[in-house]
Amino acid sequence: ESGDPQRTALLLRKAWTLYSVTPLYRFCRGRLRDYARLLSAFIAAERQKGLAVEVGVELDIKVALSILPELQGSEQDQPAVLVQLSSRSRASSKNSEDKILWSGCFCCVYGDDLSENMPEDFTCLPLFLANGAESYMSVVGNWFQKTFDCIFRRLAISPFNLSWMVAMWVGCKVDKAASAMELVFSVPRLPQPLDISYAIHPEDARALWDTIQKTPGEITQEEVDVFMDCLYSHFHRHFKIRLSATKLVKISTAIASAHCDGIVKMLHSQYLSGVLMLLTELAISQIQ
Amino acid sequence: MDETVAEYIRRTVLKIPRDEIKTVLQKWGFLSETQLQTVNFHQIKDNISQEVVQLCEENSAGIKQAAVLDIIYNHIYQNKKIWSVYQMRKTGEELEYFDLTDFKKKFKRRLQSALKNVTITFREYEDNAIWIRVAWGTPHRQPNQYKPSYVVYHSQTPYAFISASVLKSNLPLLCQALTVASNYHDIREMELRSHSLNSLKDIVFNRYSQNFQTYCPKPLQEKAVEPESEDLRISNENRREKERIQRLNQEAFGDGPQPILQFAQYKLETMFKSNPKMDVLDKKQPFRCLVKFSSPHLLESLKSLAPAGMADAPLSPLLTCIPQKARNYFRIREKKGVFPESFVSP
Repeated sequence: ESGDPQRTALLLRKAWTLYSVTPLYRFCRGRLRDYARLLSAFIAAERQKGLAVEVGVELDIKVALSILPELQGSEQDQPAVLVQLSSRSRASSKNSEDKILWSGCFCCVYGDDLSENMPEDFTCLPLFLANGAESYMSVVGNWFQKTFDCIFRRLAISPFNLSWMVAMWVGCKVDKAASAMELVFSVPRLPQPLDISYAIHPEDARALWDTIQKTPGEITQEEVDVFMDCLYSHFHRHFKIRLSATKLVKISTAIASAHCDGIVKMLHSQYLSGVLMLLTELAISQIQ
Repeated sequence: MDETVAEYIRRTVLKIPRDEIKTVLQKWGFLSETQLQTVNFHQIKDNISQEVVQLCEENSAGIKQAAVLDIIYNHIYQNKKIWSVYQMRKTGEELEYFDLTDFKKKFKRRLQSALKNVTITFREYEDNAIWIRVAWGTPHRQPNQYKPSYVVYHSQTPYAFISASVLKSNLPLLCQALTVASNYHDIREMELRSHSLNSLKDIVFNRYSQNFQTYCPKPLQEKAVEPESEDLRISNENRREKERIQRLNQEAFGDGPQPILQFAQYKLETMFKSNPKMDVLDKKQPFRCLVKFSSPHLLESLKSLAPAGMADAPLSPLLTCIPQKARNYFRIREKKGVFPESFVSP
């Protein structure tokens, strides 16, 4: 099953929890229908055992696996695989629409570093995005791990990588009014914890970045450092607080937002691929 | 008893933690002690509230009594709401004798003449605090008892504390009624908000101690005997720095407990200035930022930053001035003139 360009829009404006996934053994793109059936049976069995139960309503859970061919970077990349759990309440009529309970997406955007020397039996889809109840993630994750001998691990994002993201995304041009660039810092180990939100007008943030970035399309570590130092020193000038001593936990730009616990929200279709490429890179680092 | 009243009482009782229900009902005083004895306060809350509603039915409770119960609940659990501070002004300096009856009459009259359907409830507490609950309706609809506004007015002061009600359109009318009833001519909202009503009172009534003007602390004495370390120089320096930070913190924050605020917000419209060595932004326009600090106890948190090594001492006056200036919302612009480093806050 191939998707259409509209379908990548389903990745936008949702909070996705990130995982890294080691290569899947003997995963066959042609057998998606079979996999859906097997996963469905697995879920049903787990629910009978009392796991992954949604309190109250009687639900029939339908499983669908499909390919999203638009989500790949290079020729070597495997096209993305979408897993969706939907429900139709047994009580409602046949014409009612299925409600999507949970979505998961395996993808690989410019994952050549990993796929380069991979033996044939292995499929590289190192990045996994999950949206929906944790209980469903648990069941689906277990099934994939058992069936394809892979390992899912939560993907945390370090302050170092968050800084890169903010530098990369602040310069992106967006046609409609951009939202502010926001950095959120946390200082947990004080007697009373403190959170600091530092939001900058998008035009001013971009103007600052533009004077720092030397080559369009290229970003160096030094430029990222200078950018962050500028923001930190502007803050210090006013408040005498050293933000560099605190923990950067979340960043937000018009393109996307990211939280250190490994939760991202992608907001702009034009830059979707770029964001996924960066996340793929992080996932691969965690695997290797 | 009206079923909407019954439902309202039921829901109000459900909000109360189970172990406190009896005490709250006793404070309410609408049900007799004998009646309260008949209730099993150890069963699940759902059942307790049903029994309470039954008893209220016996006593023919109306919306007035239900509103009193709600005020009592909100007085006890006042920190669940966010309170904004309002300051009133009058033209003359005369201290008029405060007549509570007159105040209530004028307040009710002002609201009722504008809106036919309002439920107004008063309750007096210690410290000259008058609690007012207003449930708002329209000419065609009964008041919405679930979204009332609360006002706490201290009659000997020009201050009133208002809990941000969802129905913000009623705020001007509320302010007007308050001003008229208390014989002031003007009211303004201060840029000061917190969950902790008592802390707001501490700040505006100057009940906290920030700077000891008259009390001179004893000068810090150099310890005569050096305990463990061989290298006296190193210990001394560290200690001196720690003492310096502590002294500056004390000057800025005072010795006493800090008022409890949960947030401070700064809208910055100052120029971006970089290290001249860095070839970066040098616009003639302000670098627009919005900074928000949040903490369960903001001032204590800020006070601990310098000792923890995360901030310089003294901490910026933008932060330490919060209780003095009685505000936690600021707009900071560049001060034009001789010292471009200083900021103005309108």
